[in-house]
Amino acid sequence: MEFTPKIIYFLCAWCGSGGSETAAAYRLKYPENVRPFRVMCTGALDPVYILRCLIEGADGVVVSGCHPGDCHYNFGNFRGRRRIAIIKRILDSLGLDGERLWLRWVAHGEGKKMVDTAKEFNNYIIQKGVNPLSNRWDT
Amino acid sequence: MNTLVKIEEGRKKGIISFLKSLLEKGIVTQALVPMRVPTGTSFAYILTKDPNILENCEPIAPVMPIQGARIVSKLTKKGPLKGVTAVILRPCEIRALRELVKLKQAQLDGLLTISFDCPGVFPLKSYLNGHREQMDEVFWQAIDKCELEGARPVCSICYLFSGELADLEIGFGGITSDAFSLTPHSEIGEKALRELGYEEASLEGRQEYLAALREKREIKRKEFFKEFRSQVEGPEGIMSVLANCINCHNCMRVCPVCFCRECFFDSDALKVSPEDYMMRAERKGGLRFMPDTLLFHLGRMNHMSLCCVSCGMCEDACPVFVPVARLFALVADETQNMFHYIPGRDLEEPIPYLDYQEEELKEYEQSYIEEYAP
Repeated sequence: MEFTPKIIYFLCAWCGSGGSETAAAYRLKYPENVRPFRVMCTGALDPVYILRCLIEGADGVVVSGCHPGDCHYNFGNFRGRRRIAIIKRILDSLGLDGERLWLRWVAHGEGKKMVDTAKEFNNYIIQKGVNPLSNRWDT
Repeated sequence: MNTLVKIEEGRKKGIISFLKSLLEKGIVTQALVPMRVPTGTSFAYILTKDPNILENCEPIAPVMPIQGARIVSKLTKKGPLKGVTAVILRPCEIRALRELVKLKQAQLDGLLTISFDCPGVFPLKSYLNGHREQMDEVFWQAIDKCELEGARPVCSICYLFSGELADLEIGFGGITSDAFSLTPHSEIGEKALRELGYEEASLEGRQEYLAALREKREIKRKEFFKEFRSQVEGPEGIMSVLANCINCHNCMRVCPVCFCRECFFDSDALKVSPEDYMMRAERKGGLRFMPDTLLFHLGRMNHMSLCCVSCGMCEDACPVFVPVARLFALVADETQNMFHYIPGRDLEEPIPYLDYQEEELKEYEQSYIEEYAP
């Protein structure tokens, strides 16, 4: 049986989800196992939710928000980038595979980029296989 | 203005008489120093104005039952103390205190901080269960060479063991054993030394001695991380290290930089409905209780590893021997290196979470290939 990963896609309210709206306008499709979540800003996304996803069953997490300099809140995505970089570094330093977390900027008009990211990440995670933390009961 | 203080009856007595003269000459109005608890075997900080009480204090305790930065934070959170307070802190306590100042949880106004070349401390459990008189003796001998046998694991790989961040630095390393040095690092420290009437002296060889020791420790640190990483790496490794965790959250409660009034991991956010637990149990095939062990540790690392001073309080407080401090030291080394940040080094240097650069960390962004064809 082919492996269908569980993927969480955090989209910021201004650009990321705008990208998904543009994708919808162009009738672009992305894999159905990618679950989009709208957060107000990439800087408003607490890293603990990313960790929780990765521990409690997700095989991968993508975060998309406004390009640097475009943030609706001026510097939210700069802070978000630091947070995600730190969390990736922590996961890597403990051998927990920080590559299961992606950060890619998607602007409001970049519907194709949003869809491509979802597809690309989905294929990447299918190659990687099941997240070893997702089915451990002792976490 | 460096000073050498000659002592006749051992370094401990010398430091005590130095502290007493600070109080007696009115340079400080009160002192906050560690002291053996009269009815017990451990140590506690005492805030006193009485030089006679200082007579029996233990300026450098062989254990660290409480992080001094927490005490100073408690005392000064709502404003500075009246007068000048002399406070003896270990180098890691000073660094934690300076982090707390940045986080607006403490104030340095009206403090005369005194630090020293720290040889490390014994783990509290081994001290309370061991031959204490013997260990006291070993400790004071260890001070000469800044190297303590049987110290906390993170103490033995500490490379920031000298007190140059304090107002006054007491030095033992590279000094003959019948004296200790006093080096001021701020105006208030310099003023205190002038008023005490100590003469200037040159401290030849001390800096070289400390540099050599620091280099040795850095090598030891790297080797330790290499070895420890191989133990904790991967889901299997990290879970085997955390397997005994009983979710008491003691590590968070004793941590000097975990200052939040309510921790996320104690909050209602993690008290979920029974259906939620059932759902998680079904998804994973079963659910460990108490749940969220890994989430707690990773979440805490993520929250405070940038400020972690590697004092080792968490490991001392752990009732089930989880090597928390070593784990945090390993991760903190990585995250702090990302921003070339050393907690406590500079009061003007913002904590990386509270700051950003417009062009940075590109290697953590995923680059996009325009024509991605799945």
